[in-house]
Amino acid sequence: MKRWLPMLGGIAVLLVLAALPLLLTAYPVSVASRILAFALLVVSVDLLTGLTGLPSLGQIAYFGVGAYTAGLVGIHWTSNLVVQLGCGVAVALVVAAVTGALAVRTSGVVFLMVTLAIGELTHRVADGMTLVGASNGLAGIPGPTLLPGGEPIVLVGYLYWWVLAVSVLGFTAAVIVSRSPLGRSMRAVRESPTRLAAVGQRGYAVKLVAYAFAGALAGAAGTAWAVQARFVSPGDIAFSVSALALLSVVLGGAGTLWGPVLGAAVVVLVRDWLSGYLDGHGELVLGLLFVVAVFLLPRGIAGARAWRPAVAPPSAPHSLGSIA
Amino acid sequence: MTRRPARRLRRPAVAAGLIALTVAVTGCGNSLSDASASSDELKIGLVVPASGVYEPLGTDLTRGFELYLDEHDGKLGGKDVTVVKADEGEGPDTGVPATSKLVTQDRVSALVGIVNSATALGVKDVVTQNKVPLIVANAGANDLTDGSPYLWRTSFTNGAIGASLGQEVADQVGGGSVYVIAADYAAGHEYADGFKSAFEAAGGKIAGESYTPFGTTSDWQPFLTKAKSSGAKAVFAFYAGAEAVGFVKQYSAFGLAGKLPLYAAGFLTEGGVLAAEGKDALGIRTSLHYSNLLDTPENKTFVEAYTAAYDAPPTVYAVQAYDAAAVLDQALATSDAVDGEAIAKALSNVGEVDSPRGAWSFDDDHNPAQPYFLREVEATDSGFGNVVLSTLAE
Amino acid sequence: MGWLDANLISLLNGVALAGLLFLVAVGLSLVFGTMDVLNLAHGAVSLLGAYLGVALLDPGHGLGAYALAALVAMVCGVAAGLLLTVLTQGVRDHLRQALLTLGVALVAADLLREAFGADVRSVPPPALLDGSVDLAGQTYPTYRLWVIGASTVVGLVLYVLLERTQMGAVVRATVADRAMVEALGIRTSWVLGGVFGLGAGLASLGGLMASPVLGAQPGLDNTVLLLALVVVVIGGLGSIRGAVLGALLVGEVQTLGVSLLPEQASFLLFGAMALVLLVRPAGLLPSAFSPAVTAR
Repeated sequence: MKRWLPMLGGIAVLLVLAALPLLLTAYPVSVASRILAFALLVVSVDLLTGLTGLPSLGQIAYFGVGAYTAGLVGIHWTSNLVVQLGCGVAVALVVAAVTGALAVRTSGVVFLMVTLAIGELTHRVADGMTLVGASNGLAGIPGPTLLPGGEPIVLVGYLYWWVLAVSVLGFTAAVIVSRSPLGRSMRAVRESPTRLAAVGQRGYAVKLVAYAFAGALAGAAGTAWAVQARFVSPGDIAFSVSALALLSVVLGGAGTLWGPVLGAAVVVLVRDWLSGYLDGHGELVLGLLFVVAVFLLPRGIAGARAWRPAVAPPSAPHSLGSIA
Repeated sequence: MTRRPARRLRRPAVAAGLIALTVAVTGCGNSLSDASASSDELKIGLVVPASGVYEPLGTDLTRGFELYLDEHDGKLGGKDVTVVKADEGEGPDTGVPATSKLVTQDRVSALVGIVNSATALGVKDVVTQNKVPLIVANAGANDLTDGSPYLWRTSFTNGAIGASLGQEVADQVGGGSVYVIAADYAAGHEYADGFKSAFEAAGGKIAGESYTPFGTTSDWQPFLTKAKSSGAKAVFAFYAGAEAVGFVKQYSAFGLAGKLPLYAAGFLTEGGVLAAEGKDALGIRTSLHYSNLLDTPENKTFVEAYTAAYDAPPTVYAVQAYDAAAVLDQALATSDAVDGEAIAKALSNVGEVDSPRGAWSFDDDHNPAQPYFLREVEATDSGFGNVVLSTLAE
Repeated sequence: MGWLDANLISLLNGVALAGLLFLVAVGLSLVFGTMDVLNLAHGAVSLLGAYLGVALLDPGHGLGAYALAALVAMVCGVAAGLLLTVLTQGVRDHLRQALLTLGVALVAADLLREAFGADVRSVPPPALLDGSVDLAGQTYPTYRLWVIGASTVVGLVLYVLLERTQMGAVVRATVADRAMVEALGIRTSWVLGGVFGLGAGLASLGGLMASPVLGAQPGLDNTVLLLALVVVVIGGLGSIRGAVLGALLVGEVQTLGVSLLPEQASFLLFGAMALVLLVRPAGLLPSAFSPAVTAR
C-alpha cells in the first residue's frame, strides 16, 4: 500500500490541476498557467542544481530561447502548438549543448557565475535584437491552434490545459531521467566524482548530457510561457527571474524534483498574487519567507515530509567551494 | 508503522487545503466560456506602477487622476465611479498580467494608466479583444495607438517631443553640428530619430551619436568625452529617471555644463529627478508639453489645488492622468451605456479638453495634438524649476 | 594626440571606478574566501551606506561631517555584519546561505525604500572636493581622484592588517586550521564574526563613498551585488590582491572598454568574466588560504 502512495498522490494532484478551469475564473487560471510554466523551468534548474550538483543561474537563457522561438514560429510560420513546442525544444537543446560544452568544464561557484553570464548575455542580446522586438518585446503572436487548420484557441481554460500537458510531460521526463542510469551518474557527479571515474564513466560527458537535457526542458517551459501570455519580453528572462528560480529550488528542497514545483508555486503566488493585497510589499514578505524557511525547513518543503521519496534526497550539503 | 505516513501527511495536506480554499474563495467560476457579465456599476481600472523604478511616476499619475475625481464629487460624466487599482510594476512581465486581471477578473469598463511602452504594446491585443478602452497616461511609443479603436492617449509620442526641438536647436547652433546621446532602447531611439529628422530637415548636421546601455549605465564619461571631441556645438539627449540624474550630474562634473549647451526631452529635468540634480541642471533647455511653472490661469489654479492636496508641485505625469479623467468625464457625459464599446465610441466624439497645459484635442491617431514648450532650468523661490521660455513651432 | 588624451581620461576613470568596486567587493571576497559563507546581502549593506550619506550629508558639508558619516557607516556596517554572522551560524550549505542572505537583502531593501522613498536621491560630495581639475586639457572631477586615493589607503591598511599583524595571523590561522586555534584558547567564532563585521563595514563605507557618484535608489543594491560578485570571482576568492586586480579589470572594462567598443557595451562585462573563468577557473589571484582551494 505504501509503495503506491506517491503514485496515488500524484494522480490526485493531476486530477485537481486538470479540474481547475472548471472551478475558477479566467484570471486565477492564467496565474496557474504561469505557475506551471515557471515550475517546469524550476524543475530544469533542479536537475542541474539538486541532482548533478551544478548550481545554475543560466537556465533562463534556454527558457528565453524556447519562448522567443515559439513566438517567432507563431508569427512567421504556423500557429500549431505542437510545431511551436518542437521547434522551441530543438533550438533550446542545440543552444544548451553548445554553451554547455564550455560551461560544464567548470564547477561550483565558478559554474554558477559562468551560467549567470550566459543568462545575462542572452537577456541583453534579446534586449537589442530587432528580430524579436528588442526592448519592446515580441507582440502580435497569433492565437495557437492544436489541429492543422483548426480554430485558434483563445479561451484561458483550454490554453491552461495545454500548458498543464507540457508541464506534466516535462516533469515526467525529468523523473524518468532521474531514476535512470543517467540519473545515477548525475548523482555520482554531485557526490563522488572520483568513484564515477573509477567505474569508467566520464564526468564531463554526463554533465554535458544533463545540461543539454535540462536546457531542452527549460525550452519547453519557455514555449508554454509564450503560448499562455502571447507576448515575450526581455523582462521575462531577466536576472531576477533566474535568481528566483534557483531560490525556488532551494526553498522546495533541491534534488527532489517535486519539492521545487511547490517552491515555484509559493514564490509566484507570494510575489504576483499576494503582493496585490500587500500594497507593493510582496518582496518584503518573500524575503521573510525565505529567512523563516531556512530555519524551519532545513531540507526545503520536500524535506518536511521525507517519506518514501520519489528520488533520493540530497545527502551532502551543497558546497560551491569546489573549484577542482 | 501505519501511523507514520498519516502523521507526515497531515502538515502538507493542511497547507495544501488552506491554499486551495483561499484560491477557491477568490476565484470561483468557470474559465471555459466567454461569459461577459456586464454590471451597472461603473468601474475604471487604474494601472500604474506601485513598485519598482517607476513608482514615483505611478504616485503622480494616481494623484492627478484622484484630484480630478475629488473636484467632481467622485463622478465622471455625472455617474458614480469606482476606481480599481493594479500595480503595473517595472515592465510587461508584471504589467500585462495586472492589466489582464483588471480586464478579465474585475471587469472594468475602461482603463487608465501604463507608464512603460513595452507594457502598453503588450496589452494592446488584450484590450482590443476584450473591447475595453485604454487611455494611456504616459507610454510614448510612436505607433502605439495605431489600428485600434480602443487605444487613446493623453500624454505624448516620443518622436514628436524629439522633433519639436529640431528647428530650435538648428537656429541656436547656426551652421554647427549636434551630438546625439540617448538610452539604448526603443524609446531612446524614437526620441533621437524624431530629433534627427527635424534637425536635419532644418539644415543641421549630426556630429555623432551614442546610445548607452539602458538601465545599466552608471558612468557616462566615455560618451561625454566623445561628445566633447566631436566638435559639436550642442548636445541633444534623452534620459529619464535615475539615468537622467547620473547623466546631468556627470555632464557638469566632467566640465561640459555651461560650455556645451544641452537640449533634451523634458524628462531629463522633470519632477523628483530635478530635485536630485540640483544646481547641476541649471541652464539645461528641454521640450515638454507641460511645466508646473507655466504662466496661465488654468495652470495656476491646478497647481494650487494639487499642492494643497498633496504638499508637492504637480508634474507632467499628474497632468496627463488629470486629463485622462477629464476625457472620460466628457465621454461618459455623452453616453448612457457604460460598457467598453460604448465608451470607446464616445471617446471619438470628445472635443477640446481644457487642460492645465492648455487646450488640446485628439488627432486622427488618438494622440493629443498639442504644443510643446521650450523650458529652461532656473533657480526659483522654491528650489529649481523649469521656466517656460517659449512655445516651440509644431 | 586627441585620441590618447580622451582615452587617458577613460583609463583614469576606470581606476576611480575600480577604487569604488574594490571597497565594496573586498568585504565579500574576505567573507567568502576565508569563512566560506556566500553573503548575498552584501549589496543591501552597501545601499545602507549610501542612504546614510543621503541622511547625513548636506550640500556644502565639510570634511568633518564626511568623516563622521564614514564612521557611522562603518559602525552600522559592522553591526549588520555581526547580525549576519549570528543568522548564518549553523547554515553550512551554500545554497541555503544564498536563500537566507537574499531573504535578508529583500527585507532590508524594502525597509530602506519605506524609509527613504522610491525616488532617486543624490549625495553631494564634501565642499572641498566638489569641483574639477584640469588634466591634460580635460576636466576631471576632484572627488573621483579622492576615491582613488582613499581606496588605495584602505587597501594598504587591510593588507598590513591581514599580513603583518597578530590579528591577521590569527585570522589566517583560523582559516587554515580552526581546531588548532581553538586549542590555543582563542574563540574562533569571535574571529569569524570579526571578519564578517569588517567585510560588511567596508561594504557600507564603500556605499557611502560611492554615493556622490552612484546616488542612492532602490535597485542599486542588486547592481552593486552583481558587480561585486563579478569582481570577486574574476579576482579570486579570499585574497586582497585578487580583489584589487578584479576591481581594476572590471573598472577598465566598464570605462575604457566601453569607450573603445561602444557597440558591444552591454556585453563587455559578462563576456570578459566568462572568458576569464573559462581560462582561469580559480580567478586571477586566488588566496592560498581559502577553503575553496585547500579543501579536498
